[in-house]
Amino acid sequence: MQLSPTRPATALRLRLRAAAAALLAAGAVNAARAETPAARWQFDATGLGYVERSRTVVIEPVARITRLFESGQSLWLQTTLDAMTGASPTGAQPSGRVQTVTSASGTVSTSTANQVPTAPFHDFRGALDLGGVQPLGGIASIAASGHYSREKDYTSRGGTGQFSLDLDRHLITVTVGGSLYRDTVTPVGGIRVPLSDGTSFLPEGALPRRTSEGSAGISRVLSRRWMVSLNGSRTHEEGYLTEPYKIVSLIEGDGTPSPDSLLTEGRPGTRNRNALMASSVYHLTDDVLYASYRYYWDDWGVRSHTLDLKYHEELPLHDYLVPHLRLYTQTRADFFVFGLPQGGAVPRYATSDLRLGPLHSVTLGLTYGFTLPDHPGEFTIRGEYIHQWGDGHPASAIGVQQQLDLFPGEDVYTVTGGYTLRF
Amino acid sequence: MSLPRSWRRLSPLFLGIVLACCARTGAAADARPAPAFSLKTRSGGVVASDSLRGKVVLVDFWASWCAPCQRSFPWMGEIAQRYAPRGLVVVAINLDRDRDLADDFLAHHPATFAIAYDPGGKVADAFHVKGMPSTFLIDRDGKLLHDHIGFDTRKAGQLEALIQEACAR
Amino acid sequence: MIVRVRPLALLAILAAALLGGCAATSVKPWDRDLLAQKRMSFDPRPMESAIDEHIYFSKEGSTGGATAGGGGCGCN
Repeated sequence: MQLSPTRPATALRLRLRAAAAALLAAGAVNAARAETPAARWQFDATGLGYVERSRTVVIEPVARITRLFESGQSLWLQTTLDAMTGASPTGAQPSGRVQTVTSASGTVSTSTANQVPTAPFHDFRGALDLGGVQPLGGIASIAASGHYSREKDYTSRGGTGQFSLDLDRHLITVTVGGSLYRDTVTPVGGIRVPLSDGTSFLPEGALPRRTSEGSAGISRVLSRRWMVSLNGSRTHEEGYLTEPYKIVSLIEGDGTPSPDSLLTEGRPGTRNRNALMASSVYHLTDDVLYASYRYYWDDWGVRSHTLDLKYHEELPLHDYLVPHLRLYTQTRADFFVFGLPQGGAVPRYATSDLRLGPLHSVTLGLTYGFTLPDHPGEFTIRGEYIHQWGDGHPASAIGVQQQLDLFPGEDVYTVTGGYTLRF
Repeated sequence: MSLPRSWRRLSPLFLGIVLACCARTGAAADARPAPAFSLKTRSGGVVASDSLRGKVVLVDFWASWCAPCQRSFPWMGEIAQRYAPRGLVVVAINLDRDRDLADDFLAHHPATFAIAYDPGGKVADAFHVKGMPSTFLIDRDGKLLHDHIGFDTRKAGQLEALIQEACAR
Repeated sequence: MIVRVRPLALLAILAAALLGGCAATSVKPWDRDLLAQKRMSFDPRPMESAIDEHIYFSKEGSTGGATAGGGGCGCN
């Protein structure tokens, strides 16, 4: 049996999101408003170390340089590098026995009997972002950015724009934004025909994916201590949205995955996503409490709730601690399955990608912010633990599947360092 | 490649918001009398608007947390020095709740002109201060000549021209 | 049990509620000392948030809901 890819989990990283870049643009606006007037440059660096238990390791350094002008204008340039290695789930179901996988290059990997089968990968990605903020008339501003990134089998190009207007003596801010991305997928070894046995391939050539997003938000200062905001976004994706290396297991009558046949996954060619988020920032005597709730829904059937809480505790020497709690739960996509019965009808769309499954996640984190004597820069160091799990004992489990946890928990540990210098 | 329909439907809503709820910055010059005030100063004395009759007065409302205020202080120092012989008095009224924060600001941005304290904001209310910093120019008869919000070099240039004019009368 | 409301209708109602009371000036311009602090921001560490967005996008099925700006010292 052949699972072609040497790098199946590039699929995991095939996502350079409009949201991330839109957030970058928003970050640029923040920087322009909050800084001391004398600074002309700002340098920001962040480094992420990410480890999934027994699977993926990612190192991601990011550096940004911003030129600040007296008028409140700013221009910035950012570079990102991503180095990823590890193993990613293929979508095959765990069985009662060892499964052996041979990749196109002859690499053999085996998975132990009750674990979700994975395949190894390593990959590098580089990204470049450029943007600027222009204040208008003291009450408004516009921001724009452009993005380009490359990894071996994925290229992303796009841009964002944002307009912000202050009303009622800067107590209300209205923001509208949009972004457009055009990505190209060129998987190593070609793309197998979706929902097939994996032996035939789509015609050679890159497959495009287009994403457009519109967002709008209102924020309001309610009192000397309290501000709230409401934001909405709508995203439309079209093009090749399937994960090229993932499969769906065909399950025998006793619940074990068929050793001789598989089904490549297939997803719809469009996706419409919506999100509504409410946020609150409340200043106590010295500390600040942040709370936000987001409701998400899309036309693939995924619905989710996200609750995010942070507490900024100001410490005596101008350093601070920010404990963090994030709770997340999502429903499965309509076409998510834990395998399909061997010999049964092939549905129009099917995926076993756990990211589209019924899952929950809890994040616990702590950030420490500090400065060093005689040095003007500001440092942050953050540790986070994410535990993700799902409903691994669905009612539809067949035979031996009923004894296995089809969606075992996963632990992720991250360390993030940050540095900001104004000069 | 088209934008989602909902995006296009929302734009008239936001255009409506923009038109319906316009904020105004700055104000046209009025010939109304400036509000009276009597405030404690840094040196321990009192500065009162009555005793400033006959002088051209530049009143500036500032606070330690206001970033543009940091840029305005050096300029006000120059202006105070240059036009004092011609009858200009600069009064910078501080609106910090906590005196220590104001003192800390002054330690980093020294001022040769008068500093007065209005922690409760009563005088700021009387002047209808709409943003920080706010600057008011009062003529020798106590009439309000000009006011603006914020600080930038262009506004500063315009204000200096008005000061020259007011001092000439 | 998730109630299906026409999303745009919900958004319009909440937006109107936030904007309503345009005339209410509960916070004086000189009372923005706390709001002027760097930590009084919806996103005080934007580069950290961008990394988080990337992580959760890779691990979960949701995206979106980026925050608007606002608050601050209100200085011109």
